[in-house]
Amino acid sequence: MKCCEREQLFAYCQRLLAADEEEKVRAHVAECAACRAVVGEYEKLDTLLDDWQPAEPSPWFDARVRAAIAADSSRAESARPRFGLVWVRWLAPAVGLALVLVAVLVVWRSHRPQVHPVTQAVIPAAAPQVPQNVANPAFAPAVKQASHPQMARTQPVPAQPAATAAGEDLQLYEDLSVLEDYDLLAGFDVLSELPKGEKREVEN
Amino acid sequence: METDLELMLRVARGDERSFEELLRRHRAPLTNYFRRMVRDPSLAEDLAQEVFLRIYQARARYRPDARFTTWLYRIATNLALNAIRDRKGEAPQADTEDFEDGSGPGQLADSRPNVEQQLMQSDRERVIRQAVEELPERQRAAVILHKYQNVDYQQIAKILGVSESAVKSLLFRAYESLRTRLEPLLVGGKL
Repeated sequence: MKCCEREQLFAYCQRLLAADEEEKVRAHVAECAACRAVVGEYEKLDTLLDDWQPAEPSPWFDARVRAAIAADSSRAESARPRFGLVWVRWLAPAVGLALVLVAVLVVWRSHRPQVHPVTQAVIPAAAPQVPQNVANPAFAPAVKQASHPQMARTQPVPAQPAATAAGEDLQLYEDLSVLEDYDLLAGFDVLSELPKGEKREVEN
Repeated sequence: METDLELMLRVARGDERSFEELLRRHRAPLTNYFRRMVRDPSLAEDLAQEVFLRIYQARARYRPDARFTTWLYRIATNLALNAIRDRKGEAPQADTEDFEDGSGPGQLADSRPNVEQQLMQSDRERVIRQAVEELPERQRAAVILHKYQNVDYQQIAKILGVSESAVKSLLFRAYESLRTRLEPLLVGGKL
């Protein structure tokens, strides 16, 4: 039989071979001096390694293990959240979220188109009234459009459906250029507060 | 006598006395495993204690799908290999273990045969330890598990996360290196 590989001889020494292979190697080693010498080396090495004696653990080993377990248990206990304090953990994020929502609401309200509440309140009440002091028919359409609350109170608009009047009022309110028409505004009481010269010019 | 597995299952159910029994059975082999793996005796004890702590922490999750010692040495080997890697940059420690029995350099003048034998034994141990320490990490773990902890190679494969043939190869290469390094002791029997 051909000589065994060193790895095979090592496995034989360490009893790592399957039963049938172990038997074959044993038979060869019994006949082959070279392979027997290699097996002898491995056995000697194995015996030499036994000289590295084990040592006993320190006498306080068990006590230290128990102390480590006790410390770990108390650490785990203190880390567990208590029921009464759970809400505190959520308080700060909740307050922060509420503040952000309030800020968003304030910004949104300041940028949306505004409808003066007084106009909406007055127009339906004034709608059924018939204009009394509109002498010039040219004023009539403009007066109908008067939207300023003060104007609405002093210059009642012609009778019309309340919803239509409110819609036109809103349109007038958004279109402020109408208010720049001095002739249009001549019939309003508010002009009485202007200097006389200017009022006269308006009348002329 | 109850097996380790049975004891561990009882520990999982909250039996503290079974844990004490496991501690009693495995503290010495485990401490020696770490002593051989990391050399530093105090670090070895710390790591062995850490293994028992981890076993206790994981008791509720324990599943008996492998031998208890496979699980034990798997935890231990991971800790040991991490410790070796962590300490790689550090300066090597002085050989304090040689003189633990009091046979220090101060007593070299004593010529009694028993002291001489002790010194020779101590020297042989030092040379063997150095030879094993010079092995690559996995070879070292395989040799120590196989030679000193009596763990079979199927278990070693599971502990190291390699195949059984890889374990055989690791052991063979380790023994070849050791044979070369320990040649003076093998040939002459003396250093």
